[in-house]
Amino acid sequence: MPINEPLTQQIREHARQLLESERVDCVIGYEASPRGGARPAFVYDPAEVDRLIWSPDCVHNLTTYLHDKKKPRKRGEEPPRVAVVVKPCDSRTLNVLLAERQIERERVVAIGVACEGVVGKDGQPAAKCGRCTDRTPVVYDVLVGEPPEAPPVEDDWSDLARIEEMPPAERLAFWLREFDRCIRCYACRQVCPGCYCTICMFERDDGLWVDAAIDVPQKHIFHLGRALHLAGRCVECDECERVCPMDLPLSLLNRLLVREVEALYGHRAGREETLTPLLFELGPEGSPI
Amino acid sequence: MRFTTLDGLRRWLDKLAEEVDLVAPTDVDGHVLYRPVTGSDQILFDYERPELSAKDFLLPATEVLLRIEQKGKEVALEEVLPDRKQVLFGIRPCDAHGIAVIDALFLEQDPPDRYYRHHRERTVLVGMACTRMWDGCFCTSMGGGPTDATHLDVLIRPGEEGYFLQPVTPKGVAILEGLPVEEPKGEPLPVEEYNEPVPVVPPEKWRPLFNDRIWMRHGERCLSCRICTYVCPTCRCFDVTDRVVDVQPGLTRIERIRVWDACTSPNYRRVAGGHNPRPTKPDRLRNRFYCKFCYYPEDFGPLGCVGCGRCIVACPVDIDITEVMQVVAKRA
Repeated sequence: MPINEPLTQQIREHARQLLESERVDCVIGYEASPRGGARPAFVYDPAEVDRLIWSPDCVHNLTTYLHDKKKPRKRGEEPPRVAVVVKPCDSRTLNVLLAERQIERERVVAIGVACEGVVGKDGQPAAKCGRCTDRTPVVYDVLVGEPPEAPPVEDDWSDLARIEEMPPAERLAFWLREFDRCIRCYACRQVCPGCYCTICMFERDDGLWVDAAIDVPQKHIFHLGRALHLAGRCVECDECERVCPMDLPLSLLNRLLVREVEALYGHRAGREETLTPLLFELGPEGSPI
Repeated sequence: MRFTTLDGLRRWLDKLAEEVDLVAPTDVDGHVLYRPVTGSDQILFDYERPELSAKDFLLPATEVLLRIEQKGKEVALEEVLPDRKQVLFGIRPCDAHGIAVIDALFLEQDPPDRYYRHHRERTVLVGMACTRMWDGCFCTSMGGGPTDATHLDVLIRPGEEGYFLQPVTPKGVAILEGLPVEEPKGEPLPVEEYNEPVPVVPPEKWRPLFNDRIWMRHGERCLSCRICTYVCPTCRCFDVTDRVVDVQPGLTRIERIRVWDACTSPNYRRVAGGHNPRPTKPDRLRNRFYCKFCYYPEDFGPLGCVGCGRCIVACPVDIDITEVMQVVAKRA
């Protein structure tokens, strides 16, 4: 897809100022990939800001890299200060990570992009953009681009219909067939900004909850478990689905839970800087809802 | 060289499927993958490079090594090894090359890996030549090629009206005995499209680049997932662990399994006490490239990359091994 020149120039200019003024040590943005499209880029030197671009290929949620910046590079130093380019969907991650005390607001500069949509693996508009309700980042320090005039669309959950129409046995068979293809590469977990446990419970050396075999039962537990751990925390960036080499429709699992949590608590992850109520709020009878 | 039609090939494969464990390229929900098949109707004959290599059938992603049963004070150990002959049909020349690379460690070192050797001995490699190089392919730079028969038992080349089968080893001659052969018609299809070659730098020239900024540049965006190592035909690291499969009063059943592991994974190198000598993504990505182009050839002979290009196409953040090789060639 062609590079958006005006937005690219604005991103470069902000990056240059942030690096030259030493407000940040690093800018995480996008660069043109030699394979076509865009890929994540880390810029430390103001002389290198011209690597940065903006185009509809900028699909990656870069906030996942903030976890690599939580620790100082050398012992005794402060952790680095980082600027990160965020789309509206990505910006919701910042609220989740702030609420969960994973990032410090003053160490992160959000370069928000008023996004007009990005493309998916097939070069078509990404599914997440078709139901995007934000269009302007919910958290940003500087904004590039004009917020689109078109009113945000209503999320009608139509993507979930095909799975909900299935009777339970058919639905189970559908998922087992999908999990059979999974190679347990953990790309979905590694790309997810909400998956930051130091040691994942599904990858413990002692195999307490699930053993190391790359077979359907283990993959079944892993995917359902991961979805549950993200309930009320998933911002629907769909990165897990994008990176999956076997094209598992993981957004279906996440979005079913997004809808449940929204129906029960009126909570949509990252719209505000609040923790998922699923873990902390009790129902009217004092019991979990 | 033997010639047969698609129908002849199908009849031969249908018979093989009754006699051996037959593995072939199949369409799995839109993905081309090698899978066990029970008949030729499940097999793809015109297909791209399968997304995963064929190593799964010699070094399975999950393999039970031992069954351990404890009854009271008695402990019984049973080794589990399948003994049927296995035919890997339709693997690509790069897959066979990858198997030869793994052989250098698991067969040719002393002692050999007995499980790998067992699978290797029961397996016949029947390859299908490529008629073009696919996205990311650079096999010609790594000593292979789309029609390379070197590491196969049989090489099949598709033609306009049928298939040309060339036995390469005595195993290959034997497996072709039941093939219905006809008078050859036409010629094998030529290779339509070659990709640009990639420079290969010898192992000793990699050493001085160990602290080069290239590892930070490319490693920082790495996700530390396992895609590249799992799609790779030569990555062969594994983990061994025990799992309890059944507990009853007075009876415990345990399995010792070996499963694929990946040096790109954060906990791969973590040791007792929690220390990790490769704590960052660039450390781990560098190790993967050094293993392929420096450590493995120095220790075991062959380069640890066959140029299949799978990792390039599968990487979600565009880490491209050929891009790294080009930068290394410039700096070396």
